[in-house]
This record gives sequence, structure tokens and C-alpha cells, in this order.
Amino acid sequence: MATEDMKKEILERLKNAVIQYDEDAAKEGADEALREGMDANDAIFNGLVSGMEEVGRLFEAQEYFVPELLMCADALYAGLDILKPHVKQLDLGLRGSVVIGTVEGDVHDIGKNIVKMMFDVAGFQVYDLGKDVPLDKFVEEQMKTHSDLVCLSAMMTTTMVGMKKVIDDLKAKNPDVKIMIGGAPVSQDIAEKWGADGYAPDANNALKDAINMISSLKKLKEEAEEKKA
Amino acid sequence: MPVHSLTSRERVLRLFTGDEIDRPPCFSGMGNVTAEGLKKFGYKFAAVHSDAKMMADSAASSYKLFGFECAVVPFDLCVEAEALGCEINVYSHVEDILYPTIKTKLINTEDEMDIQIPSDLAGRGRVPMMKEVIKLLKNDIGHDVAIGAHVLGPFTLAGQIMELNTLLKLSFKKPDKVGKLLGMLADALIVIAGEYEAAGADYITVREMGATSDVLSPRVFKSLILPYLTKIFSGLKGHNVLHICGKTNDIAVFMLESGARAISVDQKNDIAETRKKIGEKALLFGNYDPYNILVSGSQDQVRETMKGCLDNGVSAVWPGCDIWPTVPPENFHAMMDEVKKYRR
Ligand code: B12
Repeated sequence: MATEDMKKEILERLKNAVIQYDEDAAKEGADEALREGMDANDAIFNGLVSGMEEVGRLFEAQEYFVPELLMCADALYAGLDILKPHVKQLDLGLRGSVVIGTVEGDVHDIGKNIVKMMFDVAGFQVYDLGKDVPLDKFVEEQMKTHSDLVCLSAMMTTTMVGMKKVIDDLKAKNPDVKIMIGGAPVSQDIAEKWGADGYAPDANNALKDAINMISSLKKLKEEAEEKKA
Repeated sequence: MPVHSLTSRERVLRLFTGDEIDRPPCFSGMGNVTAEGLKKFGYKFAAVHSDAKMMADSAASSYKLFGFECAVVPFDLCVEAEALGCEINVYSHVEDILYPTIKTKLINTEDEMDIQIPSDLAGRGRVPMMKEVIKLLKNDIGHDVAIGAHVLGPFTLAGQIMELNTLLKLSFKKPDKVGKLLGMLADALIVIAGEYEAAGADYITVREMGATSDVLSPRVFKSLILPYLTKIFSGLKGHNVLHICGKTNDIAVFMLESGARAISVDQKNDIAETRKKIGEKALLFGNYDPYNILVSGSQDQVRETMKGCLDNGVSAVWPGCDIWPTVPPENFHAMMDEVKKYRR
């Protein structure tokens, strides 16, 4: 068993690997964590994810931009690939599944990809339909995968209206499914009017929301752990 | 020439040459098709992108219906990528207004970046048609109104022909490799823009929206994007404008350093601050929100916004992006009227 100091050092290395978008360091850190017999979940959430939270802050402060974010995500995924097989299924009880995509006629997918990444990080099963997605495809995919959440992105006022149709169709077929919409022309008002369950206003807030999700996930996990102890 | 009897074309050209004008013009360098214009001819939006006469008619209608002081083509951002070999989708099955997109990318991975620019570029895709459109416009309204055309910037074009996530990451990890691609694309764009100039376009707008500070850092803009924009502007012969939408306050000075005659920014730019930074003389176009103001604002809001742009020191009242087709006629008229009666 690793000593507390050693554990701390490994977690710190995982965190920094993500922040400094260093894939190799993330892989090494993950291997080392396993070698030292650390809990994979601990390494993911207190190492990798904790790094991604800092990346979110750097993005918000405009110290990091989209390329940096994508590279940090790559480092995170590299570590995650090694650690994930060692996570006990039980620990992932909170994980949900989400269908995400940019609606038909719209190829703006930079924002959607960032949102997707955050769900990945939070341990969701993500079904990414990509961009310019025919409206029926969202309903089809949700039915096929029984996902809890459908996320729609649109960056243009013309394509945005397609989201209303998807919301109506989804709610008709499956009233329980949660729907979250976003993209620059979308607003809280529109989300409410069209019957979506959630909305995140802009780049920073979408990120914040996703990070909040991760954080609350972490908190719940910590509480569960405390109870166990 | 007495400056009180200028035609719209003279006003725009004199603005570019730095000659005295009666008032700032109200025009654009980006698409200017309106639903109202389409209705006049009974054209479907999906059809106007691939028919020279239909495109010319639609572009000219914003002048004829509202007195907009230009006609600008094309309406989509796919002409260059198509000439390089991409397939496009114009959504002909849809009645609504959906803008054309690229169906298939030429470059999916890093190893596929060594592309060849076709030597017959000027004859490929819709480039010949675009020349025809410009000629039709010149014949129709070219005496009274300036005719504009736009091309993408090299980085934004790279994003059209290449997997964007890969491009973004490589712009950080392997700037040399990306730079090489941008250099080639800059040459290709000079050829295409040169064809437009030869066909009679009065000014060319280079749209490098992919390099906005919403996406790329000002630092990467300066080191990786600026050199190739500079290359393009030194290759253009006529009047020209560099347009970038989104956050641009931190790159406005670099934008001007590219050698562009004028720079254009959108509503996210604090234009009074930009004016201070770039000085009194530089040509600065902007910066009303073409959707939230011109389409969905009230006439009063439209007037206030146009006045605000002028008070803040724009050299021309000009939209943050394409004129959005569903603009209500009364808003368009309000905009033109407000600019015409404004006095500094
Ligand atoms: C890059 C860009 C492009 C690129 C897109 C590349 C790509 N693969 O994405 C290209 C060059 C291809 C392009 C094309 C066009 N574009 Co464009 N483009 C932009 C630009 C500059 C940046 C968008 C961006 O990526 N921002 C950065 C990301 C990180 O932010 P974001 O997308 O807002 O995402 C965040 C939030 O919105 C939110 N979010 C997003 N999705 C979701 C989903 C959920 C569920 C949630 C919760 C949150 C959420 O979280 C995200 C992450 O933080 C914007 C202007 C701007 N600065 O916003 C114009 C803009 C979106 N484009 C515009 C236009 C008009 C076009 C064209 C029609 C131009 C034309 N004449 O053809 C075409 C459209 C083609 C088509 N049919 O889709 C207009 C739209 C106007 C309108 N009112 O509808 C804009 C707003 C420019 C402007 N100033 O007017 N464009």
C-alpha cells in the first residue's frame, strides 16, 4: 500500500498532467497509481478530474482557449483509459447516459464538443451524434440507448427552431427523458417556452455547469465514502 | 467632386481611398440576401447558391429594396472548399433557410495534411459561376453601388476542409505543419480572390472567423494566423477588409497589422476602445448585431444601435456577420434612414 504522502504526490502529478496537457505524464501517473495499489476512483476524481476543474477555471479566465482545452481533455482521456477498467462498477452508480449533438443544418460543433467532454469527464456514457444531425436521429438514438439525458446544441437562430421539434417528439415518446439545450442564440426563456429541462447560457456557464455536475458528483462520492469509513 | 452628390459606389470607394465623404456608408462585406428579396423573385434559398442569375438578383435586391449601399456575394462559406474538392450540402429538401455546409472533409488526420492545390483552381467548383455573378451585378447596379465579394481566411478555410479538432490541437502542438498548410491555402485564396477582383469586385472581405478569440488565443493569432493573413493582403490588388467576429478586442491591432485596408468586428467588440487603440485614421467597420438588433429589435432599437456605432467611431455602419435573411423591411429602412441623417 502506498503511503499517504506518496498518494498525494501521485494525485498531484495526475492533476498537473491534465493541466499541462501532458498525455505521457497522465499515462505514467495512472500506471503508477495502479502499481501502488491506489483506488482507481480516487485517482480519477482527485487526480484527473480535479485537474480538469482547474482547466475550466483557466478557460474562464481566458488563459486557456479551445485548443488547450482539447489537449487537456486528451491527457485526461489517456489517464482515464488506463484507470477505468479498474473502477469497481459500484462506484459508478451515479453515472448517467446522454445523447448529444448539434441539430440539422448547423455545423458549429466547437461548443458542443466542449460540453460533451465535460460529460465524459463526469463519468457519463456519452453518445455523440456529431453535427448537422437530422432531427429524427435524436429520438431514435435516445430510444435505442435508453439515455437519461438528451443535449441539443444550435449556434444559429435558423437551426435553433429545430430543437423545439426534437423536444416535442422526445417528450411525446418518452416523458421521463431530460432535455438540455444550449448554444449562443438559445436562452433560459426559450428553454422554458419550448419545454426543455435544462439550459446553460454561454461558454463559461456551460463549462461551469458541467464542472458543478462533476463537483457534486465528487461530493456525493465523498459523503458515501465517509459513511463507509 | 462635390461630396454632397455622391453615389453609394463613390461613397464606398472614397472611403477606401481616404477621400472626403459626406457621411459614413451603410454597407457590408458579407452575404446580404434577404427573405424579402427572395420573395420578390420567387426564389428558394437553397436554389440561389448554384445559379448565377438567381444569386445576382438576390444580392442586388438589398440595394433595390432598401438602398443598402453594396451587393455582396456569395451567401455561403463553401466556395473555396468546394474548389479544393469538398462536396457541399445546400439542403434542397428543406423549405426553411439553412446555410450550405461541407459534407466531406479532405483531411481527417495529421498524415493527410500534405495536399496539393489544384493548378486549375480558378476553373473549379463554383469559382467560374462567382465570376459570372460579379459581372451580372456590375452590369445591373455596378454603376451606382459597390460590388463586394468575400473569401475565407486560411485558418477558417483549413477548418472547412479538415477535421477541426485536429486542426485546433495541431495549431498548438505542430504550428510548423499547420503553418505550411495555411501558406498553401493563402496562395489558393489569393488566386480565387484575384479572379473576383478581375471580374470586377470593388472590394474583397477576408473572413477569418475561425481565429476569433472565442476559440484561439491572441498569442496564437499573432504567431500562427497573422503571417498568412499578411500574405493574403499583400497578394490582393484592390480594396480589402479583414473580418473576424466574436471576441476581437485583444487582436484588433494585429488585424490591422495584417495590411488589410480596413478591419471589421462584431457586436462583441468594444468599438470605442478599439478606436482608441488603432487611432483616428484606421478604417474600422462594424458592429451591429445582425440578428438580435436588425432582425428582432424594434425600429427604435435599430436606430439607437446605428447611432451608437457611429458615436463610437466606426468608419462605416456594417453588420457583425451576414445580414440575416429574415430581417423585417421596416427595420432595414430604419437602419438606412438613421445612417443617412446622422451628422457627426
Ligand atoms: C467558428 C464559427 C464558424 C465555423 C464553425 C466551425 C465548427 N466546426 O464549429 C464556420 C466557419 C464553419 C462557420 C460557419 C457559419 N457560421 Co459561424 N461562427 C463561428 C463563431 C466565430 C464561433 C463559434 C464558436 O465555436 N464559439 C466558441 C464556442 C466554445 O462557444 P459556443 O459555441 O457558444 O459554445 C458554448 C456555449 O454556447 C454552450 N453550449 C453550446 N452548445 C451547447 C449545448 C448544451 C446542451 C449546453 C447546455 C450548452 C451548450 O457551451 C459551449 C461551451 O462552453 C461564431 C461567432 C461567435 N464568436 O460566437 C459564428 C456564428 C455562430 N456563425 C454564424 C453564421 C451566420 C455562420 C454561417 C451561416 C455563415 C454563412 N454565411 O454561411 C455558417 C453556417 C454554416 C452552417 N450551416 O452551419 C453566426 C450565427 C448568427 C445567427 N444569429 O444565427 C455567428 C453567431 C456569427 C455572428 N457574429 O453573427 N462558423
